[in-house]
Amino acid sequence: MISSILLKEWLKLKYLFAGVLVLNIGVCLKIYFDIRGLILSEHPEMIWYEAIHLHNVFFKDFMFFPLVTGLVLAAAQFVPEIIRRRMRISLHLPLHRDLLILLSVVTGLFFFMVAVGISVVLVYSTMRSWFPLEVSMTVLTTMGPWILAGILGYLGGMAVLLEPLKTRKVFLTIVFSVIISVMYMGVGYGWMSPAMPYLVWLVPLFLFCVFNSGQRFQQRGA
Amino acid sequence: MNVIEVHNLSHHYNGKTVYQDLSFTVPQGSICGLLGKNGQGKTTLVNILMGFLKPSGGRCLVLGESSHSLSPDVRKRIGLLHEGHQAYEFMTIAQTEKFYRGFYPDWNADIFYSLVNKMGLPHRHKVGSMSCGQRSQVVLGVIMAQNPDLLILDDYSMGLDAGYRRLFLDVLHDFAAMEGKTIFVTSHIVQDLEQLVDTIFFLDQGRITRTGLTEFLGSFKKYVFHSNSQVVPIEDEIIKGVERRRDQFTVYSYRDQDTVTEQLSRQGVEVRDLHRADMTLEDGFIGLMGKY
Repeated sequence: MISSILLKEWLKLKYLFAGVLVLNIGVCLKIYFDIRGLILSEHPEMIWYEAIHLHNVFFKDFMFFPLVTGLVLAAAQFVPEIIRRRMRISLHLPLHRDLLILLSVVTGLFFFMVAVGISVVLVYSTMRSWFPLEVSMTVLTTMGPWILAGILGYLGGMAVLLEPLKTRKVFLTIVFSVIISVMYMGVGYGWMSPAMPYLVWLVPLFLFCVFNSGQRFQQRGA
Repeated sequence: MNVIEVHNLSHHYNGKTVYQDLSFTVPQGSICGLLGKNGQGKTTLVNILMGFLKPSGGRCLVLGESSHSLSPDVRKRIGLLHEGHQAYEFMTIAQTEKFYRGFYPDWNADIFYSLVNKMGLPHRHKVGSMSCGQRSQVVLGVIMAQNPDLLILDDYSMGLDAGYRRLFLDVLHDFAAMEGKTIFVTSHIVQDLEQLVDTIFFLDQGRITRTGLTEFLGSFKKYVFHSNSQVVPIEDEIIKGVERRRDQFTVYSYRDQDTVTEQLSRQGVEVRDLHRADMTLEDGFIGLMGKY
């Protein structure tokens, strides 16, 4: 049963996942060449000053890519389901609706973490090539809010796509957009680190929005 | 035992009443056809029965459970054909079989492939690049391989040519012959249902009428006559439906020939050569429900 759901999700995701993976790796390569060019053209003191005192994040080009990845994966999984209301097929399967949605979310988030995780490793390796460990480690804390924005974008995308009522779609879009925009409010290395543990624990709550939209999708004519 | 029980069902859509106090039952082992003109709520009723719509009022039980909260165990016993032969178009034939196999303990891959192989397509052929008829075969294969106790088919004939419709009927006949299997079907091709169902539900303006097929075809009658008179028959308690082609009139009634002749004379209609004609289910449907 679970393997059947995983098969279905993989078939929907595979091409767009490959696309976002290439896109993520592409931006990581751009970051590598940008930093390499900077190192070769500037004095080391100047680069140090830019990074530590001016909080210039050398990999900020990556900022919106987790969000794009989350939105693309949500669309890849759920646009085929809502076109001609095909999700009715899955909703009739002998499987609880919330478990069906949860398995879809887990699959989507797995592929999201693979794409974004590879990018984090590549950006960290780039930074580690020229910067000390302490500065390189801030890749994780700096990218944290962006990754969280990607997860929220994924869950928000699913909730909005499944929601049958237009007014609720607009409401959900506004709510998720506001929360996601919070993740991009600050600048600098690890600027949101103190709040991150609390924000991470809040993420499962947003899963209920998806369950709620799924329930409403089913009971309003699916 | 009733497989479907509907009690005092009410449903409203955009302020319009679709049903009010609708009640009917479908006994186990019966083959029921739900007939109604377009827009009378046949698909809405199927959606309510399958839990895809919550009714405004009343109670719907399917295999003993409330239709809007069917458990996975009960859904496992229902084969559902969605309107338009819904299927996952990004899957191939083989992937479709693999996908469904995981959900049904009684899954019979031989039945699935015996139906699908009739098309002569390779198993790696994508469902999305099939014709409507070919896709209907895949969906039929999926439903039959589940070995369900109750089959609900929402307009199975939509988009199918005569060959595929006949193929569907053949499979449904074999299914119906099995012990205790129940079929609840809607179709806009009424004459196909004549070859399949034993019970008919007429859905009209929020009301439902149940009758046996043989009983209906025996009691509802089609009369044909010629007339040059300017007075056209009017529908009333005796005359249930009227059709006209030039000087030939067809009237439908539950009453005998003498009563109908008398009533037409009472209406001032000049009647020539009135006689009872053979009536198909489609004739009866038009006679009872009207053309539009």
